[in-house]
Amino acid sequence: MLVGKSKAKPNGKKPAAEEKKVYLEPEHTKSRITDFEFKELVVLPREIDLNEWLASNTTTFFHHINLQYSTISEFCTGETCQTMAVCNTQYYWYDERGKKVKCTAPQYVDFVMSSVQKLVTDEDVFPTKYGREFPSSFESLVKKICKYLFHVLGHIYWAHFKETLALELHGHLNTLYVHFILFAREFNLLDPKETAVMDDLTEVLCSSPGNSGATGDGASSGASGAQNHVKER
Amino acid sequence: MNRKFFQDRSRSAALAALAALELHPLVLWSFLGTEPRASRFLVAMAMTGSTPCSSMSNHTKERVTMTKVTLENFYSNLIAQHEEREMRQKKLEKVMEEEGLKDEEKRLRRSAHARKETEFLRLKRTRLGLEDFESLKVIGRGAFGEVRLVQKKDTGHVYAMKILRKADMLEKEQVGHIRAERDILVEADSLWVVRMFYSFQDKLNLYLIMEFLPGGDMMTLLMKKDTLTEEETQFYIAETVLAIDSIHQLGFIHRDIKPDNLLLDSKGHVKLSDFGLCTGLKKAHRTEFYRNLNHSLPSDFTFQNMNSKRKAETWKRNRRQLAFSTVGTPDYIAPEVFMQTGYNKLCDWWSLGVIMYEMLIGYPPFCSETPQETYKKVMNWKETLTFPPEVPVSEKAKGLILRFCCEWEHRIGAPGVEEIKSNPFFEGVDWEHIRERPAAISIEIKSIDDTSNFDEFPESDILKPTVTTSNHPETDYKSKDWVFINYTYKRFEGLTARGAIPSYMKAAK
Repeated sequence: MLVGKSKAKPNGKKPAAEEKKVYLEPEHTKSRITDFEFKELVVLPREIDLNEWLASNTTTFFHHINLQYSTISEFCTGETCQTMAVCNTQYYWYDERGKKVKCTAPQYVDFVMSSVQKLVTDEDVFPTKYGREFPSSFESLVKKICKYLFHVLGHIYWAHFKETLALELHGHLNTLYVHFILFAREFNLLDPKETAVMDDLTEVLCSSPGNSGATGDGASSGASGAQNHVKER
Repeated sequence: MNRKFFQDRSRSAALAALAALELHPLVLWSFLGTEPRASRFLVAMAMTGSTPCSSMSNHTKERVTMTKVTLENFYSNLIAQHEEREMRQKKLEKVMEEEGLKDEEKRLRRSAHARKETEFLRLKRTRLGLEDFESLKVIGRGAFGEVRLVQKKDTGHVYAMKILRKADMLEKEQVGHIRAERDILVEADSLWVVRMFYSFQDKLNLYLIMEFLPGGDMMTLLMKKDTLTEEETQFYIAETVLAIDSIHQLGFIHRDIKPDNLLLDSKGHVKLSDFGLCTGLKKAHRTEFYRNLNHSLPSDFTFQNMNSKRKAETWKRNRRQLAFSTVGTPDYIAPEVFMQTGYNKLCDWWSLGVIMYEMLIGYPPFCSETPQETYKKVMNWKETLTFPPEVPVSEKAKGLILRFCCEWEHRIGAPGVEEIKSNPFFEGVDWEHIRERPAAISIEIKSIDDTSNFDEFPESDILKPTVTTSNHPETDYKSKDWVFINYTYKRFEGLTARGAIPSYMKAAK
């Protein structure tokens, strides 16, 4: 598959492995738009409804990841991204009947954004009216949404980081990624096997000096978060 | 060089994008499902070796700016909201400790607080559109839209919905900034200003959801009563002084003070309405309307020689139509507003003087059959501001009107509002408690959604083009607006404090 992908490049040259992960270079990984402690921000506030907290954050991540992708959508084409690739992993879309669909990256992202849009605007799934309840399947739907959004973020890093750098949006992308990953971890929304493909970046971005220093606080915060988690359920 | 150019453009465009963001959330969501552009830019990039910045499409540049502004604002707000939420929680714990509450009572208070915080989070996810409201009745019509009594379908609460046609509005960036200013004012939550709960838009219209004031407006009251007594006038002018001063203190100039913008609440007290969005929009409110007109004295001798009763009848007959007109007249506008020298907040006191004259005499001092003649009278106020001999008006009232309607350098209020409050005409006014005492004229309504203090208006088609028969979620999605995304907790509290419930729902309880 890598061979197939390299054929698509204009210069026809097969790149070395190191050249593929510009996003891991220290000068880029330290770029953010805020230095605030995200672990504190993602924790469920005291006695707040868990589903409402998940809905609020998930809707926002959908909005922002869609925006981030829109900045490089001009460069993400059927020719340059013949498959939805993140490192050596490729994603296929599964339609309503569970049939596997082979598609280009822009097609895959379009499927993702359309289906997530339907969910977050569905009053039966993400209710906005006063007093309406969340469905019992809500948490599993949020997990599915987070998996799709993770694929989009991964593809931006893997295939379009150079364009993101040129647009000076890498600080925004890193901030969004850290926030998203820490939120998903806090509430077990992403399967570690699913995110393994980006573990090298995650390890670097989510263990900044600030976070290291706050490890103790992080653990304490995590514990109280877990308490709220259990309590609300 | 290209990079620097891009940076400069990006910075200068950021504010515009911010304003555009406020006005056009639809722009954001139109990103969804769009097909990526062709790869010709990548080819061009490979061939010329230029950076993506210089060769990308304008569409991508706009998206980049939008993304930067959105994410930077979001993370700034996220941190602030987090800190504020924690502060509210700590304050609650402190209050409960000071009150010496038992553990069970504390638990109940914490639960109630958490329910409220949860509701606030949900509110921010809420998207509103026209379909969320039931239109009950048209209660007002203006030059650029109309006002309807509406009921929110899920809560049953009653509001006034002001509908403004976008095609008639100012340039879009200006509207965005004006709305930002209005949000500041809404945050201040003044008793003297009609409350705006939220706004949303679709392709054709901008919708403002306001509190419903069943007392009607001052224009309608004057049409019913012809004139007011001096005691009644004293009351309404005094309350309007306090209302205007309250917005001046917030840094605003109303610039469109007139009877139809003075509303009366259910107890008959004054509230200001409708400023910012439509100010200066009527043609006769703009200087260029009179570009080729000199300032010579007016020449409508027949009208001028009418007695005051006939002038009042003419004014009243044309009053409603004048309010609808997109041309309007400068009856209430201070002369310096039309001069090269500029104007300041004192122009609002001039307008109040004109209203006071109208309350006592039956028509404003400079009214004519054309806006051009009115303009000439305004600009020559020294000669044209006179009191008809056959109408009884006290010397105190005349004195105050002449202090309101004079050149701005010597206008009453120039040194401060205290000069107005201490004027002899306001002898006996309890400035501290006027709003808590009975109003000069009580409002007679049978229910909270009573519209008998408004004129009858035929139905209009202002909403018809937006009706959609499609049930497609895409259509529904695009016809709704992210209304509360930037709501603060303070505004949220104001929203839940609303108490207007229709009479039939009260009966149902």
